[in-house]
Amino acid sequence: MGDSQYSFSLTTFSPSGKLVQIEHALTAVGSGQTSLGIKAANGVVIATEKKLPSILVDETSVQKIQTLTPNIGVVYSGMGPDFRVLVRKSRKQAQQYYRLYKETIPVTQLVRETAAVMQEFTQSGGVRPFGVSLLIAGYDDNGPQLYQVDPSGSYFSWKASAMGKNVSNAKTFLEKRYTEDMELDDAIHTTILTLKEGYEGQISANNIEIGIIRSDREFKVLSPSEIKDFLEEVE
Amino acid sequence: MDFFGDEEEYNTNVLAIIQRNHELVPGALCPAASATSSPSPRRRHRRRRSISMAGAMDLPAKGGFSFDLCRRNAMLAEKGLKMPGFRKTGTTIVGLVFQDGVVLGADTRATEGPIVADKNCEKIHYMAPNIYCCGAGTAADTEAVTDMVSSQLQLHRYATGRESRVVTALTLLKSHLFSYQGHVSAALVLGGVDVTGPHLHTVYPHGSTDTLPFATMGSGSLAAMSVFESKYKEGLTREEGIQLVSDAICAGIFNDLGSGSNVDVCVITKGKTEYLRNHQLPNPRTYVSSKGYSFTKGQTEVLSTKITQLEPKVEVAEGDAMEE
Repeated sequence: MGDSQYSFSLTTFSPSGKLVQIEHALTAVGSGQTSLGIKAANGVVIATEKKLPSILVDETSVQKIQTLTPNIGVVYSGMGPDFRVLVRKSRKQAQQYYRLYKETIPVTQLVRETAAVMQEFTQSGGVRPFGVSLLIAGYDDNGPQLYQVDPSGSYFSWKASAMGKNVSNAKTFLEKRYTEDMELDDAIHTTILTLKEGYEGQISANNIEIGIIRSDREFKVLSPSEIKDFLEEVE
Repeated sequence: MDFFGDEEEYNTNVLAIIQRNHELVPGALCPAASATSSPSPRRRHRRRRSISMAGAMDLPAKGGFSFDLCRRNAMLAEKGLKMPGFRKTGTTIVGLVFQDGVVLGADTRATEGPIVADKNCEKIHYMAPNIYCCGAGTAADTEAVTDMVSSQLQLHRYATGRESRVVTALTLLKSHLFSYQGHVSAALVLGGVDVTGPHLHTVYPHGSTDTLPFATMGSGSLAAMSVFESKYKEGLTREEGIQLVSDAICAGIFNDLGSGSNVDVCVITKGKTEYLRNHQLPNPRTYVSSKGYSFTKGQTEVLSTKITQLEPKVEVAEGDAMEE
């Protein structure tokens, strides 16, 4: 690889025009646990596997899906600690937006500001890119929205997307199953089936996390008992 | 380099204004200046560059109040320049603890000296779903400080996953006010119910706080406190609490010039908050003419007339008008 001598410094382009560190960051994301999201006609659902390193870990202390504002939630694939930093920054930005404009931040604005933070870390000295890709789900005056933000800082709006280990299979599965006028409950079932596809082992209410937002614009993370109900419907 | 020149100009202009207004001798104006005349302060500025720079520039990067111009302001005040005033709320705000929680009350008049600036303003501010705060003092200060702490509490709720506590709001407020040494003129009555129970506190502009079963603040506080002192008892019911708070605010409304208009009440209990905006309207506009008001010409007496031409009449000098 002729790029290898350019791969250690973030702020140096390789001859092929790539920033190799960002490629490496994407690899880090690609080896993280699968997460996915689907935008339905009346809401958005995001979900992720929650495989813990050992059965001794207290699974109630781990929450991978986080709330950024009452109507925006986020899930990730990649490095957990990097995710926590981004969540903290995004929450603060949402509050600052509110203080400045006395308007709750629209989803696109929050996505843009988070992406700008991630981009900053690709063009500064002494830092490395974030090793996470985010799936941001929100519901505002422009309806339900789903965005993916990459370590480079680029963001895309998706109707349905997946990230992490099982990305190609999951995306193929979603392409087949996605319909424009899907209802949120159907979307949740599709999500569970997609996760099941790539899951090594037995899926249960305690080793996946699902977050939804309906037209009531309140983002919530489903409790294990609620997930259990959906799982039973799917079986 | 640009602002450097500006700062010098600015200071020279300021001194020129004082000079014109008070006919003072240049040498006496700047005690720090050298014996040479004022038009050459260049050397002095150069030495002070690092400190004065920030004052002449836009907002300092760190945020918060910049004390850089305070020395200049003190000098100007000393020389006789009158400081501009600001709008105060001249208020009656109260709070009390009853058997299930807290009740907060406030009047709705905002004053600017002798003028009523807002006949129905909102003095009970949201801090958290279970915490509200009444504000007296400078309206801008109470708004800004409660908004800021409310924002901080929201971030804290996200980080901890728990309901906010009243003492948290209290500590955030008092540390902020203390660090501004009383320049943020906000006197607050903070009340709420959290896992540890109902709480009521008062916060003073310099940053001291009290914890009380009933409290009043603002220019109408004495009128309101007299009502509380005679009628308050422990274990009031919700209706008694609301009635007592309304009575206290009305005492302020009717007996204090700085308070007036309507009564706002907020009842906070475990799990439920009711914001009763304009709970009482004891000062309605009683006479409104249904025909409307018309003012015919000749009703107002003309005392004097002065006509100023907006477009100056130009006199053409001799010679051809077309010549330059």
